[in-house]
Amino acid sequence: MRFTGASKYVLDPELAQIVNISMALEMPLLLKGEPGTGKTMLAYAIAEALDMPLIVLNVKSSMKLVEALYQYDTLTRLNDSRFGDSKRDVSNIGEYIKMGKIGQAFVSDIRVVLLIDEIDKADTDFQDDMLDVLDQMSFDIVEIDKTIQARNRPVIVITSNAKKDLSDPFLGRCNFHHIAFPTPDLMREIIEVHFPALERDLSKACIDTFYRLREIPGIEKKPATRELINWIRALRSDPDFKTARLGKGEVPFLGVLYKKSMDFTVATQHLARGIRN
Amino acid sequence: MFVNFFYKLREVGIPATPTSFLRLQKAMRLGLISSLDDFYTSARAILVKSERHFDLYDQVFAHYFRGMDLPDPEGIELDEAARMLLEQWLRDPEGVAEALGVNPEDLLKLSPQELIEYFLKRLKDQTEAHHGGNRWIGTRGTSPVGHSGHHPGGMRVGGASMNKSAVKVAMDRRYRDYSMQGLLTQSQIGEALKRLRYMVPFGPKDHVNIDETIYETMRNAGEIEIIFDRSLRDRLKIILMIDNGGWSMDPYVDVVQILFDYARNQFKDLKTYYFHNSIYDYVWADPPRRRKPQKVEEFGRLDPETRLVIVGDASMAPYELMATDGSIHIEERNLIPSIDRLRFLAKNFRHAAWLNPRVEMEWHYVRTIQTIRMIFPMFELTLDGLEKAVRHLMKNN
Repeated sequence: MRFTGASKYVLDPELAQIVNISMALEMPLLLKGEPGTGKTMLAYAIAEALDMPLIVLNVKSSMKLVEALYQYDTLTRLNDSRFGDSKRDVSNIGEYIKMGKIGQAFVSDIRVVLLIDEIDKADTDFQDDMLDVLDQMSFDIVEIDKTIQARNRPVIVITSNAKKDLSDPFLGRCNFHHIAFPTPDLMREIIEVHFPALERDLSKACIDTFYRLREIPGIEKKPATRELINWIRALRSDPDFKTARLGKGEVPFLGVLYKKSMDFTVATQHLARGIRN
Repeated sequence: MFVNFFYKLREVGIPATPTSFLRLQKAMRLGLISSLDDFYTSARAILVKSERHFDLYDQVFAHYFRGMDLPDPEGIELDEAARMLLEQWLRDPEGVAEALGVNPEDLLKLSPQELIEYFLKRLKDQTEAHHGGNRWIGTRGTSPVGHSGHHPGGMRVGGASMNKSAVKVAMDRRYRDYSMQGLLTQSQIGEALKRLRYMVPFGPKDHVNIDETIYETMRNAGEIEIIFDRSLRDRLKIILMIDNGGWSMDPYVDVVQILFDYARNQFKDLKTYYFHNSIYDYVWADPPRRRKPQKVEEFGRLDPETRLVIVGDASMAPYELMATDGSIHIEERNLIPSIDRLRFLAKNFRHAAWLNPRVEMEWHYVRTIQTIRMIFPMFELTLDGLEKAVRHLMKNN
């Protein structure tokens, strides 16, 4: 089973090799990189290309590991024991155990892709404990004293936005890749995949403007691929838009590219200066 | 196979583990690596766990497979130092002239190339003579000027171009930019400071307490008894004291500003004061330190549970810290030396931390930092340092 790309994902050969090697070694792949470099999209692409279901665990800062594994629904059980109007057997705790995302990936009958998104949001304990579970491919449900063993080892992709490194034990158990921001050439390919009918000169003008905008200093959240795609969509839906306007340095729909109000102000001022000169 | 390559990586400071090396062997045995290109990518994914080391990896790879010169680690740092000096020179020629001990006009005549040469020569003299000299061109090559989180050029490294051989790709050193520290953004600081809070019950009872509800329901023989609690609110009191005077803090203004902005949004009960160099009889509630003085003695009456955070480089002449009348401001006549003021604050606020924007490596060279560290636990003003400081501030003892 080899991963060679998907319909809406432009794959860099370097990354393809890393994905394949991680799958063969049965190791989680940790992806870092600026927002908008396609870290999350990669998991979707792998799932699509290998025809496996995708299970997404969106990590939140308050999350405890057990929530990702399973949940013991005490409230329903209390309710059932009080009113007794359900078909569940109240004395069987097992009926009140619901699998979390990692649990679902383990009990699935077929091999799945498990995406653990934005792991850096959780604290270090969560990260290390989770890797223990993924290493052993099993966890215990203490309430019913049962061990859940993974039926099929999922393909695991973990993403992180953090600049700082994750803990050493964590890194020791993952393969690592840092996705660089796409070059203008690669970006052209990405745009072609999303807008097959886009005119050449418009595509070029948009990409040139986009990379120029990314150079504006003092921006906290630089526009990324997602913003570029939305921006092109906005431009195309405006009947009054002419490609030549971009050449003059005008940038319509700037708000699509800059979502923080501070960034928007900085970019507007920068552009205003540019046009006057 | 490639044992030497592995040791070379470790030698230059990439923390590649033996386990990961065995894993690489396994990958080769599985027949997954059939070319040097594959080896370049796979070995990096398996052995190197941070993009900050990608550049070093490229250099070692090029050296090992092509016999490229491997610059000694000091050389790399020197590179950095030279670049930073150049930047500083562009921004502030007079400051650099002063630090190098030359006439600013003479310095302006030098081309950047000549400046670097001059700088390297000076550096060499210094190493040999072991003078304290101007610390910021010390041999470690990490100038404080470079530490303000400035990220020149941004990350403009392209994706792989696979028409080239792996060695060529490695020789490109595409990951050079990553070896530097990135900009501290508000959200990153937010992550670090998130745990700095003290939750207390507040407001109406509108929160179901599940554990208590179950317990009370059982006591009630199964008749459901729902227990409500007040929800928790953050009630942490924080005093932030910032050194905002003098050129020595200038390079760090940006990063302190971000910290301050975040703190203002995050904490309900935050008081900010300013001082210059060290704390004498007064701190000020207004940044120019003129209109709203606050007697330091009065802090003794505040809640000792308040968290005190001081931000400053703690670098000054020893007498400014130790002597009575140590303040460099002529209009401030003080009878108690600054060091006693600091001790007073540290005694009154059990939970206190000093954040220092200078790199920890340099603390060792500055006497007043050493002294102040004995009074306040000191942390680097970086993400890691912030996290440690927060952990310290929330300790219960």
